[in-house]
Amino acid sequence: MIIPRSIRRYKERKEHREGPWAELFEPYKGDEVVSLDCETTSLDVKKAEILSIGAVRIKGRKVITSDRLDIKLKPPASLSGDSIKIHKLRAQDLVDGIELEDALKQVLEFVGNRPILGYYVNFDVRVLDKFLRPQLGFGLPNKAVELSHVYHDIIKWKHVGGDVDLRFDTIAGKLDIPILERHTALGDAITVALMYVRLKYGETPKNIY
Amino acid sequence: MPDAFNMDNIPFSLLNEDEQALLGKNLDIGYFQQGEAIITAGEKPEGLFIILKGRVSESEAADKGEEGGGQHIFVHYENEDYFGGWSAVRGTAIHNFVADEETICHILPTRTLLDLIASNAQFADYFQQNLAVKSEIVAQHGGNQDMAEFMLARITDATVREPLVVEQGTSIKQATELMRQHKSDCLLARRGGRYGMVTGTDLLDAVVINEKPLDTDIIDVASFRLITIDHEDYLFNALVMMTQQQIERVVVMDGQSMVGVVELTDVLSYFSSHSHVIGLRIERAGTIEQLREAAQGLNELIKALISAGVKIRFTMDLLAAMNGRIISKLFDLIIPADMQPHVCLIVMGSEGRGEQIMKTDQDNALIYRENLVWPGMQETLNRFSENLISFGFPPCPGNIMVSNPEWVNSVGDWTQHLSDWADTCEGNAQMNLAIAVDAKPVAGNEALFKVARNWFLRHLRNNDVFFSHFARAAVEFDTPLTFFGNLKDKGQLDIKKGGIFPIVHGVRTLALEHRILKTNTFQRIETLVEQKVMQAEHGSDLSEALALFIQLRLRQQIRRAEEQEDGLDPTPNQIDLQQLNKLERDLLRDALHVVKGFKKHLATRYHLGG
Repeated sequence: MIIPRSIRRYKERKEHREGPWAELFEPYKGDEVVSLDCETTSLDVKKAEILSIGAVRIKGRKVITSDRLDIKLKPPASLSGDSIKIHKLRAQDLVDGIELEDALKQVLEFVGNRPILGYYVNFDVRVLDKFLRPQLGFGLPNKAVELSHVYHDIIKWKHVGGDVDLRFDTIAGKLDIPILERHTALGDAITVALMYVRLKYGETPKNIY
Repeated sequence: MPDAFNMDNIPFSLLNEDEQALLGKNLDIGYFQQGEAIITAGEKPEGLFIILKGRVSESEAADKGEEGGGQHIFVHYENEDYFGGWSAVRGTAIHNFVADEETICHILPTRTLLDLIASNAQFADYFQQNLAVKSEIVAQHGGNQDMAEFMLARITDATVREPLVVEQGTSIKQATELMRQHKSDCLLARRGGRYGMVTGTDLLDAVVINEKPLDTDIIDVASFRLITIDHEDYLFNALVMMTQQQIERVVVMDGQSMVGVVELTDVLSYFSSHSHVIGLRIERAGTIEQLREAAQGLNELIKALISAGVKIRFTMDLLAAMNGRIISKLFDLIIPADMQPHVCLIVMGSEGRGEQIMKTDQDNALIYRENLVWPGMQETLNRFSENLISFGFPPCPGNIMVSNPEWVNSVGDWTQHLSDWADTCEGNAQMNLAIAVDAKPVAGNEALFKVARNWFLRHLRNNDVFFSHFARAAVEFDTPLTFFGNLKDKGQLDIKKGGIFPIVHGVRTLALEHRILKTNTFQRIETLVEQKVMQAEHGSDLSEALALFIQLRLRQQIRRAEEQEDGLDPTPNQIDLQQLNKLERDLLRDALHVVKGFKKHLATRYHLGG
């Protein structure tokens, strides 16, 4: 059954307004954003299982790395050779991992009703939603901010015609942001946070071609 | 740790694992635009900032009364540098920190910083911004420890021999038997509360050469002018002392009481390097050729000591003693014996201060007794200079050597020159004077030199105008703290103008004013501290700064000299900043800060405002 996301959200908000997670559905008034990233076993939402989740808050132009979320989960059955090559998480690296159920609660508590920032954020949100729904009956109601859109919106005025290169490493390079630790959830979350702050508050990067 | 925070850099490497984890957990990351103030003077800073990427400049808060409001930038900070620690500890910032380009910083909140300072004493010391302490920590923490520790052995680390003590009234025969019994080749004879040294050679001389009877009191042959050293002193200094005094044992004292005797062989067993071998060769040289061979071994010794990480001050002390021995030996070989008591050879400039490491030039002069008749004098002196050149002491570019008749003077003329130079403010005269006040006698009749020096020091007493003029040179060159920002395009620094000269000349002026006879800058500083002219911590900071400059310069000099075909360094005072590691840059920056403070102090003291 395919219901457009906005309609479903509306429905879920109505259902959960009085529930234990009511706060999540309040409209957000503050100035904070949460940068979030998941490492998964697959890039296909249907098959993907979560391995680790990293998140940091961004307050103004500061990335609050001292208050962060760095969760490792129990290794799922589908942990396979292909994805291990990218995120370098083996089953034995995840033996201390926690149950998905607890992890999701921690994520909800950390994120609250703040907007969620990410690189291809819809993928992360949809994977999280996939596991949230059966458990709590709703998906993440938060506003999602897509880093590559923020980047594109700023760059396109300088770049009439042609496609903008939106690869992660390219964006980091153009913005002259050090990539802290590629392909760990927290490392990517921090890098994305820095790119966001840089785009939001810094000058438009030069020599984008 | 998913952050790109490098714990390997001092001071963070001083923290233990738990403390590093605490640090990692509390770090935030901040982003600052170009031109944005990160810390504003007078406000409470957030904490300690460690730069991840970008560049930050530190500048003085613009005084409200000041015209133009032109801000003076002290320092630039770059990748992995940290700043704001002092302000954070103090509660308010006294300087402005502004992002020069877009900057990303790790931020360590003040609260955590204070926790770490409370739990780790070494880390705390590092934030005292005290150069001497910092260098100490770095030295303890750095590599090359083995050799440095080895060379820094204290007297008490070596074999201090229990001396054989005999009472007054012991005969030479009894004494010799006792020495045989104790397998000792020297003894101390006590008369009242004093001790005199008697060596095997003394006994031999007494009996064989002076034909004294065997029942002579041992006191009669003892030498009561003991050369002593404190038991806490460095073993290295004992070696320097022995080389200087041409003796083989020194008496070790603890305050007023005697601890024992340290012998040359014991010291040598500690120093396997060939320093003393060269010393012995110098002593034994009977001809100029032999002396030349010995002198040429010195450069190798310097390189060995430096690469072993021996503290620069000890290297300098040792070399000054060696060079002094070479020059005075050459003096003995060239100057006719009947003339030696009537003349005094002095070395000046860096050699007079005992701060010359690579032989850069020879500054020397001769003072002779009034009305001395010595027909072939100038020819002999020319020969002296030529030989020194062939020993590897390059000629002085300013021609300040005894082959130049202007630097060969009678005592009267010499004092006249000094006072003439002191009365003129012209640059050349001031320079000559600066060189001349560092003079140290090395051979001949020292009394001639002392008469002239003492007269000159009296002459200068209370002459404020002179000191004001003299001191001015020390503040003339700008201290180049802002160089750091442009490491890429302008990585050269003239360390002599920027760091060494201001310290040496400033200290020289202070020493002259307080009539301190020492010529070595480090000793001058120590004496100034003892006389309470200078605060102890300023003194040790200045010494450390100077030692650092000399050490950095020396290392690059050696490297450049090796690259050149002729083995001479074309730019001896340049420091290439790119060759320095992060830690050395840190220390260099702190040291230049010290120089800056010192210059400010001089400006106030000698009214050099404006």
